[in-house]
Amino acid sequence: MSFKVSVTGYAQADQVAARAAFATAFKITPEKAAELLTVLPRTIKVDLDQATAQRYCDALLKMGLTSAAEPMQAAAAPSPVPPAAPAPVAQASPAPVMPAAVVAPEAEQPGFKFTIEGAPDFAFLTVKLPANHTIKVEASAMATMDTHIRMKTKLGGGLGRFITGESIFINEFSAEKVPGEIGIAPGAPGDLGHVYLNGDVIYLQNGAFVACDPDVTIESKWQGFKKGFFSGESFFLIRASGTGDLWFNTYGGMIAKDVDGEYVVDTGNIVAFTEGLNYSVEKFGGYKSLFFSGEGFVCRFRGKGRVWIQTRTSGALLTWAQQFRKAKSAD
Amino acid sequence: MQVEFIHRPGNTAATLLLAAGESCTTESGAMIAMSGQLDIETTTHKRGKGGLLKAAKRLFGGESFFLNHFTARSGPGEVLLGTALAGDMMDYTLDGDALLVQAGSFVACEQGVEIDTTWQGFKNLLSGESLFWLKLSGRGKVVLSSFGAIYPIEVDGEHIVDTGHIVAFQETLEFSLTKAGKSWLHSMLGGEGLVCKFKGRGTVWCQSHNPGSFGMSLRPTLKPRK
Repeated sequence: MSFKVSVTGYAQADQVAARAAFATAFKITPEKAAELLTVLPRTIKVDLDQATAQRYCDALLKMGLTSAAEPMQAAAAPSPVPPAAPAPVAQASPAPVMPAAVVAPEAEQPGFKFTIEGAPDFAFLTVKLPANHTIKVEASAMATMDTHIRMKTKLGGGLGRFITGESIFINEFSAEKVPGEIGIAPGAPGDLGHVYLNGDVIYLQNGAFVACDPDVTIESKWQGFKKGFFSGESFFLIRASGTGDLWFNTYGGMIAKDVDGEYVVDTGNIVAFTEGLNYSVEKFGGYKSLFFSGEGFVCRFRGKGRVWIQTRTSGALLTWAQQFRKAKSAD
Repeated sequence: MQVEFIHRPGNTAATLLLAAGESCTTESGAMIAMSGQLDIETTTHKRGKGGLLKAAKRLFGGESFFLNHFTARSGPGEVLLGTALAGDMMDYTLDGDALLVQAGSFVACEQGVEIDTTWQGFKNLLSGESLFWLKLSGRGKVVLSSFGAIYPIEVDGEHIVDTGHIVAFQETLEFSLTKAGKSWLHSMLGGEGLVCKFKGRGTVWCQSHNPGSFGMSLRPTLKPRK
């Protein structure tokens, strides 16, 4: 089912600030934002999956705007719904009360309830585990948890993770009998991405995996010698498939790019991409560029899908730090 | 060319939106991602301007020998740029004036901007900073990066900035290197060493952190060079 997101009102007294934040987030001028938000509710996004719609609502709330995510009336909906019926939630008064209440009820959301704090520089994930539910977490990424949550260490991810120096273990945390909360901190400072997999497949760069629903299968996928060798990254990618939440992290900020056609990303900056995309590793420009551009090899994506990009790479930082190494003779 | 910034100020990336026919020049290694149809060229100089000598000077300036040029020949496109260090970015539109940019802070510029390396004399040798500044002049937008946050200081009269904290300054300002304390000994022991004294009227853009200090703090944990 697809969802639409509407702005219903202001969650804070300072309407100007909220509009300014809205303008910044959607990359429009403050005037345009003011114009858009004069008549409320205002639908701002359509055709979203529920998780994405929820993320929009959360983001809008941070800007100081209340919003509602509602299912869109499917054209071929079998139920005799009166056409063009105004969505009831949209009529809700934009009272500056607890705006989260406007958001779709908890039961309808697929996956775990979670919050991401400190994004985009120091994102930290807190997941609410319902009773008797389990979550898979990257080894050593657990930062805090309730005392009744039990941890089990399992071999996971396949041989590829061993070869690439990742931990071959993935921890499973279960909330026994009563609900619990677990705080997860990725190793690198940066942003966190979340997708709710619904039978689709996402590839993650090695090291980007943070946590997932136990129904999501995490496995290593051999990229092939050419792609692996030239990408400068590893020969393996993580293939995540199944149904449920998946969280991954970046070093630096994260940019989600919807690709339709062709898009080029530096190999070190790729975090994740959807299965629908074909990719090839190629040299950046001509041979002169290959050796001197400082970019080396890049990844060219073709087709339709989404790529998640990180704005920094730890490799570049390490290269920069080389100049500060002591000369051996100085010892 | 339009410039947009995302994820400021911690891990800023710049998106350069090129209209059909436009081109831009970037520091080598800065590209994160780009549209599929852009033309790429790597040269030692700004297209049609300068040559090896300029490139060699740039190398001494702590910048890379090479520059990348992106051209949107067949329809509009975009280039995403990032830096190695965490920090902010800024853009500035040159309109016949000139900026002097600290080596390493240059990210990108529009077609109409001239890049040159200026020799600031031996006085800089002592400071442990680079010998050269990049001089950006002409007309068009430039994109600069900083380590940490970036903040402008309007100078009218005199102002002192530590050499490691300068991102760029307007050419209208005169600068000289001087000691931070009363005596040379105190200046050196205080870890400030040399500072830049600006005179005149203009803007200095500063960065909140000194990359050199950060590098030195990592030094004990880095493996020694062979």
